[in-house]
Amino acid sequence: MKALARIWNATNPRARAALALFFGALLVAPLFADRYLLSVLILIFYFAFVGQAWNVMMGFAGQLSLGHALYVGVGAYVSAALWVKFGIGPWAGVLAAIAACVALGLVIGALGFRFGIEGVYFAMLTIAIAEFVRIAFDHMEWTGKAGGFFLPVRADAAGEWWNLRGGPLLFYYVGLALMAGAFVLCAMLRRSRIGHQWLAIREDEQAARALGIDVFRAKLIAVAISSAMTGIGGVFYAFYYNNLFPAQVFDISRSIELILGPIVGGLGTLFGPILGAFILTPLGEALIGATERLGVNVPGAKAVFYGVALMAIIYAAPSGVWPWLKKKLGLA
Amino acid sequence: MPSGGSPIVTTTTKLGRRAVLAGSAAGAALLAAPAIVRAQAPVIRIGMLLPRSGFFAQAGQSCHRGALAAPRVLSDLGYRVELVHIDTESNADIARTQAERAINDGVHCLVGAFDSGHTLAIAQVAEQRQVPLVINIAAAPPITEQGYKFLVRNFQTGPQLVTNGLRLIGETITATKISPKTAVFLHANDTFGQAQRGAMDALFPRANLPFTLAESIAYDPRAQDLSVEVTRLRALRPDLVLVVTRASDAVKLVRDMVRQRFEPMGIVSPGSPGMYDEEFYQALGPLADFHISNLPWVNPRSAMTTALETAFLAANPGTRFAADAFNAGFTFEAILIAADAFKRAGTTNGPQLMAAIKATDIAEHVMIGGPIKFDEKGQNPNIGSAAVQNIKRTPTVVLPADSSAAAPVLPMPGWQGRT
Repeated sequence: MKALARIWNATNPRARAALALFFGALLVAPLFADRYLLSVLILIFYFAFVGQAWNVMMGFAGQLSLGHALYVGVGAYVSAALWVKFGIGPWAGVLAAIAACVALGLVIGALGFRFGIEGVYFAMLTIAIAEFVRIAFDHMEWTGKAGGFFLPVRADAAGEWWNLRGGPLLFYYVGLALMAGAFVLCAMLRRSRIGHQWLAIREDEQAARALGIDVFRAKLIAVAISSAMTGIGGVFYAFYYNNLFPAQVFDISRSIELILGPIVGGLGTLFGPILGAFILTPLGEALIGATERLGVNVPGAKAVFYGVALMAIIYAAPSGVWPWLKKKLGLA
Repeated sequence: MPSGGSPIVTTTTKLGRRAVLAGSAAGAALLAAPAIVRAQAPVIRIGMLLPRSGFFAQAGQSCHRGALAAPRVLSDLGYRVELVHIDTESNADIARTQAERAINDGVHCLVGAFDSGHTLAIAQVAEQRQVPLVINIAAAPPITEQGYKFLVRNFQTGPQLVTNGLRLIGETITATKISPKTAVFLHANDTFGQAQRGAMDALFPRANLPFTLAESIAYDPRAQDLSVEVTRLRALRPDLVLVVTRASDAVKLVRDMVRQRFEPMGIVSPGSPGMYDEEFYQALGPLADFHISNLPWVNPRSAMTTALETAFLAANPGTRFAADAFNAGFTFEAILIAADAFKRAGTTNGPQLMAAIKATDIAEHVMIGGPIKFDEKGQNPNIGSAAVQNIKRTPTVVLPADSSAAAPVLPMPGWQGRT
């Protein structure tokens, strides 16, 4: 708490006000938002959360992972299987999900970092292992193989918040809590000793090593925290959707989806992943509506406009939208 | 004084019990107004959630073409429908948010969504908002086992597809008088292919077919070619090749068989797409002929099928109905189910409309099989299957005899000399 208070006090007063306003508005948003808007906001929170998780590894520690859907999938399957097979609820299941994801992350990290697999080669390793696990789940009888794994839906269980059984309002506030929690955690990590070590490694690994930083250990911690957080995102996903298919949750396109937010918002920044999610998800939804209203009834037209918009954003703010916006709003 | 001219008069009124009651009633009436307007709608607005772009685009667009043809046929039958077309982009997140949006925009019923994962994402929205979901295509058995009350499925489950597919293989053998001794089961290792493999493993031993299953071979449908798998096939020399494919890998499979001069008695799918898709015919030409797909199909002898085909060709000029018949037929029937329930219920109120959908009993329809009815879980158990053989690049019903348009041809002619 003391560390948190220190961070809060050290923050620009304008930024503090903006943050309070932002999260305050989100707290009361369900009073005004309709069901559609709520569902979009839940998606935004989810992508902001998993984007924040990926940002720890890439944005803070400089380790490129393109297979992060692996942790979403493992977290989702572990918690869902514990719930369906043993009746262990998600609040306990999340611990098992975290343990499984951290173990996987450490294996990948240890493999990669011990043998000097870096940059794009490390990224390829993460993709390869995500694909390997996807194929393994495609054949795993216990979790329904490629045919899918399904959580039962009972109307009388709708109010069981302790089992993450409920309507959109429950998932809205759980999603918001996850996003806010990840933001606070990352703010604390950024200012911690390990956070500074990560930044040093990201900027110049050789120099960091020369300074006496245990680079291997620091990188593994980044992987462990990132995979644990992403695994929690998987638990949320499993109980929100109630069904899991390896081809969907482990697919590389899901990995790309979850890294787009932090890239657009601002890599390595605290608010970038959140802003990125708040830009990209509504942009996609708005483009669906806009193409419909314009009468552009060509399948995939939205994807074309989305791609163009993405290019325009990256062209206008190559370091991410948040660093640019922060300067404009005087929040730096 | 306001610009209107009348003076502002502030009075203190003591509210009596009657006034409070009257006010409450008026307020409630005002709040309920949209629901009443919705309940008395003159047409049923149906949200068509289909994957028209992304991974399932080909199938989604095929379903969409069926939806485009539906209003005309239904109008001639006295039904009143308005369709709202929504692309789910082969993405479960989009499917879910768009279902929410569609209901916000006033649709009374949802139809979709081809893929089981997308369908279940929509099912949760439908359940929470008490808006019926009529599933046109999605084979995962648990869809009707998870406990949803606001969905029905007018499509076979994976095991039903395989059970009927195997039965039709037996009937085809009898009809063509061939005597295969061995077969190999070749299947894509995607969600659908694996589900079919599971059903095959469970059901083949009980199917009493006159041949043995030498091996099951899984392949990656995204592979550049299937030469390795075909080489294994050649080594095993099966009389029949049973396949679970999609169009692009079905093309690769046949090309590699031709290249390696492997000629089995027949290539038969016990329930999968791929070999009746336009892409298959376009890519292979004469080599696409004589393959058999056993699956639900439009009944060529049904008057409603003829009407649908006419409307389909008018709505989709330059497209062949035959190649879209499976997707278009089931999509049309899903709309028919919603429209019929609306006509009987006389309301678009969700629970009442759902009750009417559950009570569906449509004898005259498009797909082969008995009347469209739903069991207590929302599954239609009366969907039949047909053996559909490619003849002159047209999927043609060859069995069952009472729906057939031609006789089955097996063993299939060699690859060489086809025109």
